[in-house]
Formats: sequence, C-alpha cells, structure tokens
Amino acid sequence: MNLFTILSDIEKVNAEASERFLFSRRKLLKTTSMAALATPAFFAATVNKAFAADADVVEVLNFALTLEYLEAEFYKKGNMAANLIPQSDKQVFMKIAEHEKQHVEFLKSQLGDKAKPMPEFDFTANGMFPDPFTNYPVFLTLSQAFEDTGVRAYKGQAPKLKDDKAVLLAALKIHSVEARHAAEIRLIRQLRVWTSEQETGGVPAAVYKGENETHHHDGIDLMTLVDEHFYSMNGSAVELIVRESFDEPLTKEEVMAIAGPFIKSMMP
Amino acid sequence: MEKLNKLTVQNAGPTIPVIPSVERRMFLRSFGIASATTLALLSSCAQDNLVAPSKSLSRSGARTGAAILPDGSIDLGSGDIGISNLAYTLDQLEVAFYMTAVEKASGLSEMDRKVLMELHDHEVVHREFFKALLGDNAIPMLDFDFSGVDFNQRNAVFDAAQQFEDVGVAAFNGAGPLIQDAEVLKIAGKMVSVEARHATLTRHMLGPRTYFSLGHELIDDKGLDLHLMPEQVLAKAQRFIKQKISAVNLPKM
Repeated sequence: MNLFTILSDIEKVNAEASERFLFSRRKLLKTTSMAALATPAFFAATVNKAFAADADVVEVLNFALTLEYLEAEFYKKGNMAANLIPQSDKQVFMKIAEHEKQHVEFLKSQLGDKAKPMPEFDFTANGMFPDPFTNYPVFLTLSQAFEDTGVRAYKGQAPKLKDDKAVLLAALKIHSVEARHAAEIRLIRQLRVWTSEQETGGVPAAVYKGENETHHHDGIDLMTLVDEHFYSMNGSAVELIVRESFDEPLTKEEVMAIAGPFIKSMMP
Repeated sequence: MEKLNKLTVQNAGPTIPVIPSVERRMFLRSFGIASATTLALLSSCAQDNLVAPSKSLSRSGARTGAAILPDGSIDLGSGDIGISNLAYTLDQLEVAFYMTAVEKASGLSEMDRKVLMELHDHEVVHREFFKALLGDNAIPMLDFDFSGVDFNQRNAVFDAAQQFEDVGVAAFNGAGPLIQDAEVLKIAGKMVSVEARHATLTRHMLGPRTYFSLGHELIDDKGLDLHLMPEQVLAKAQRFIKQKISAVNLPKM
C-alpha cells in the first residue's frame, strides 16, 4: 500500500503558486456578503472558480478523494452484482452509490489537475473478507465500516480546512451525508445508530477506537455535567448516552491503517 | 470544571446574570408553572441589569456576549459565543420537543417511545455541553410553543422531529466556516454527525430503507448536504420559541 508515498508527494506542491490561488479565493470570500454566500448558485460558482491550490488543502482533498473512490467503486460493484442486494434495500444502495460518485466528481473538480487517479482496490482485503459481493452480510459489514470511517475521516480533517471557508463548508456538507449513510446502514443491520466501542457489528475494532470518549473540549466531563438530568438511570446507562452523543475523529494515519488493506495499488 | 477560557473574550459585553435553574422543569408535570417563572425572571433582568450589547460592540469592535435586550428579546452574542448560543438554542428546542412528545403524544409504540427518549437524552448531553462551554455567556433557558405539532398523530411527531434534526444538521454545516476557534470547530464536528444520525433515524421511522430515509431531497447534485446560515436557521426555528431571538451579531462569511 503506497498511499503514504502519494501523500508525501503532495507536500512537494509548489508553494508559491499555491499562495496566489489561495489569496484570490480568500479575497473573493471577504468581499462577498453572507446572503449571497448562502445561495446554492453562488456556492457552486465559487467552488468551481478556483481549484484548490493550498498544499494542505490539496492533501486533505486527495485523501478524501481516495476514500470516496473506495466507496464509489465498492457500491458500483455491489449494485452490479447479481443476487447480492435484496429488493428491500435496493433504493438505499442506489442512492448511496449516486452520492459517492458525486463526491468523487466534486472532489476532482476541486483538485483540477492535482487530483490523484483512482487506485486499484481489493475489497477482500487480501482475503480477510473473501466474498463481499456474493455474501450480503459481509457487504453490509464493509459498507458500515467504510461509512463510519468516512465520517471520522472528514471530522479529523475539517480543522485543517479552517482557513479555506468554501472548502471547509463543502467538506462539512459531505461529512453529514456520510453520517446519514452510516446511520441507515446501521439501521438495516439492526444495530444501534450511534457509535461506541461496544457496538461494532463485526467491523474491525480500529474503526471505533476512541468512540467511548466522555470528556470533550479539554476536559469538560460530560458524565458529571449530565448526572443530575439522568438521576433515575444507573451509571452505565448514562455513560452509554454520553458516549453515543458525540462522534469522534480519526487521524489520516488511523484512517489509512483501516482503509489500506483495501487499496491494492496506486496507479501512476 | 474548567470553562472555555477561549470563549471568555476580552471586553466582552454585558452578560446575562445568573438565572435560577429551571432545568428540572422537564420532570415537572406542568410546563405552565416553569414558563411563567422564566418569563418573570427574564423581564426583571431586562429592566434592571442589562444594556444593549451594541454599545460594547461599537466601543471595542470586538466580540460580545449574549444579552437580553430592553424589549425582552435575546441576542445570541457574536463570534464563537453567538454560534455556540445558536447551537444551545437548537438543543434546548430539541430537548423540549422530545420531552413534550414523550409526555403528550398518543398512539406511540414502545419502539417509538424508546427512539424519542434516546434522541431526548442525546440532546440533553449536547445542551449541557454548550451550557458549560458558554458559562456566563449562555442565554437563559427558553420557552417553547409546539402547538403547531399534532401530538395525536404519530407520524406528525416524527415528521416534526425529522425537521428539527435536519435544521440542526444544516445549522452546524452553515456555522462551521464561521467558527474562529479550532477547538470549537472540532466539537461542532463531533455533534453534527450525531445530528445527521438522528435525522436519519427519525426519517427511518417514517419511511425505512428509502431515498427519503437518506435525506435525498436535501442533498444537491454534487452529493452535498444542506447548509443554513444562522439567520436562516432562526427563520425556521423562531416560530417554536416564545422569546424573540436575534442572531444579528453572529459572524458573517
């Protein structure tokens, strides 16, 4: 898996050229009123006008693109597989596949010629999941793993996009779509919709590592804060509520440790 | 417990004086008593202690805390305080809605009730988080009016829930780029995806395994979810809130 090489290549992007593009984008944002920005037409125009050029932003977007490629390809194959997805769930997977394809196209449009090509995937993860496209429970398990990892991946990258408001907004708008996907898949699997280290549904533990956090924002202890509101419940029930009320981020490295086994090779 | 010192801004404007907690009202049978108490407190605060925040804004050019204006309306404040108060407003609304639904709605199955209580409980956690984060800059507990919701219709309850949750998702999405402090942005990110899960569950209760349950009508042809800017959020939420809320000092793009 040589994704890390790709990512370090990105860091060599010409910084000076980046500055120029970034400046024009920021200037555009500063001189625009909020009302105009709120309209979808304006938003589309803005994000299409300037390709992402800041090296950090390019790195984040290419990382996101890799995950979207993975998801888009996974659902494309799943929808094409005969007798895999039951009639009752076809709408869900047609729509999710459509969204993931749109995310790929959108990220490519943002990256312009800096967009990385689609790598080759191995959805068996070197034999760990031997039959993802003929065994529906396995397909669903992987779907859940990819969606919940996607949510955590975007969450982890969002702070890096803070200086590019248009890109940050777009990333957040993809992030919540991934969360909608994850929730519906978990419902189909009759799991709890909320994440914790306990409710993995057979997905590798790394996908939910750290989801039991009960302290937020440098030590605000939610257990203590909410105690009086749940006085009729026992401590473990309260702890479950607190854990499930927040989704936690993953770093790029943590995400790639999860996604890596599914990535066979990066094309040149 | 350490409060957000990054939110405690220099030259912060007038803050709302401590208002006795009406937290436990959700456990009271009568909402009427609690509401009357809150309103009385609000009006006395407005008369005695507060000035309009615009004065300190023009003096310092800096961010300002929340305030109750002379006419009794509530200003959310500016900067990250204002955004956090907007989220706090929505969380208060959702908690009150779910509690009302559990108490008043008829025709709910056991599962319906369980779902509404779980959503309620998460929103309590979110609300208490923002209350702690904001400290003295938090707006008071608000009063709500859900008379437009037909609690005799199970589907109407989930339809309203779904709309509140979708507004929550769109509000966090729109507010994200307006947040100054990276730590506040991180926290918002931890909550918005839970709101999106809520939205999906409430939709799933109406039409499971469908385009609808995935929120497809909110998602554009680039696969991007809806976002709403703070003024747009209030335009949707205000009719459920008895006090007039102002987002006029919130940051703009």
